[in-house]
Amino acid sequence: MATSKKLAVPKGGHAPLSSLSKEATEAASPKSTASRPPAEGKSPKTKKSRKDGAEDVAGFKGLKESAAKVESLKAPNTSKLKDIGEASFGKPKAKTETVHGPDNRVRITNTADYPWRVHASLLITAADNSNWIGTGWFIGPHTLITAGHCVYIKNSGVPGRDGWVKSIDVMPGRNASSLPYGKVTSKNFRTVAGWANSGDENFDYGAIIIPTELGNTTGWFGFGVYSDATLKASVGNISGYPGDKASGTQWYDAHKIDSVNARKVYYDIDTFGGQSGSACYRIINGARYGIGIHAYGGASTNSGTRIVTPVFQNMVNWKA
Amino acid sequence: MPSVISGIVRGPDGQPIPNARVYFTSGPVPLPEIAAITDDRGEFSLTAPVPGEYVIQGAADEFTSRSSKVKVKGNAPVRVELPLK
Repeated sequence: MATSKKLAVPKGGHAPLSSLSKEATEAASPKSTASRPPAEGKSPKTKKSRKDGAEDVAGFKGLKESAAKVESLKAPNTSKLKDIGEASFGKPKAKTETVHGPDNRVRITNTADYPWRVHASLLITAADNSNWIGTGWFIGPHTLITAGHCVYIKNSGVPGRDGWVKSIDVMPGRNASSLPYGKVTSKNFRTVAGWANSGDENFDYGAIIIPTELGNTTGWFGFGVYSDATLKASVGNISGYPGDKASGTQWYDAHKIDSVNARKVYYDIDTFGGQSGSACYRIINGARYGIGIHAYGGASTNSGTRIVTPVFQNMVNWKA
Repeated sequence: MPSVISGIVRGPDGQPIPNARVYFTSGPVPLPEIAAITDDRGEFSLTAPVPGEYVIQGAADEFTSRSSKVKVKGNAPVRVELPLK
């Protein structure tokens, strides 16, 4: 098994937790670095990415105007006047949708190739034996990153459902019924105190540790901590397994990052239920680096947990 | 306190559909993008974190997806049917 130096263990909301009671986390000599590189695995057949920061995928129509930016081009709202529509229909309700404007997603069919095989379809069995679908992505030979709520259910309101999930079937590069890298089952998960103890969405991230080194075959994405300015100038890419499409098919979209705050990344990239846990990644000189973990569908933008220093530290330690 | 939206996904013949996918497409707050899989009785349950109006959608490969608006008041549970065509 490959080894690498561990980083200092974060504390507070980012204090790491394991589903295995015998697992111990150790502090090691800290030597923080801003990023970890990707690897393409065996026989990757990687297609070069586009110059605009998106993947080169047949049928992808390019980076659309975000709903938020289109809104800003409209005539300014004169606050003294109400919209005439309210006279007939009442005040419009705020609503949240996860595909904004036309659906920009394209299906990926060469899922056995890099980078697509880095993304895994997840079949999750919760503590009450209910089943769920999500997405994960390799960051190392035996580690996938996903959303915290894919490995630890919080505040469900359903008796017996909360807590660590029982198991996750991990299917990298799945293409409908085809499993080019098979299926591996994990019962070994990680998340952090801020998610498991508090259900705080700012800490919604976790990991799946698989009992094989399958990542050496599929390859993995790099990941890094980047400044606000760098992220806001970047194109975000997301590929995952949405529930509204044919079962087990992988779908991709990309768009410029809309905004960031200290804990989250916001983007107008089309997603749907089932894509929780997907990598939000940027392409740097043809190499793929995760910048966030997709988790929530929102009004004009969707969002993910931003990879900041303590998130990065946990990811490095989970990868080791 | 969250509310639970539970229900059943049925086919055109009224029979329950196991292994259908059910997920939120809209709601009053940002929602986690995990999707439920119906059990062998076609049943599912989703968590609505706050009161308000939600839209849930059911999908299964042999059928056309169907959405349903659900109003959640307080933390009272809500029951819905998702008949697919």
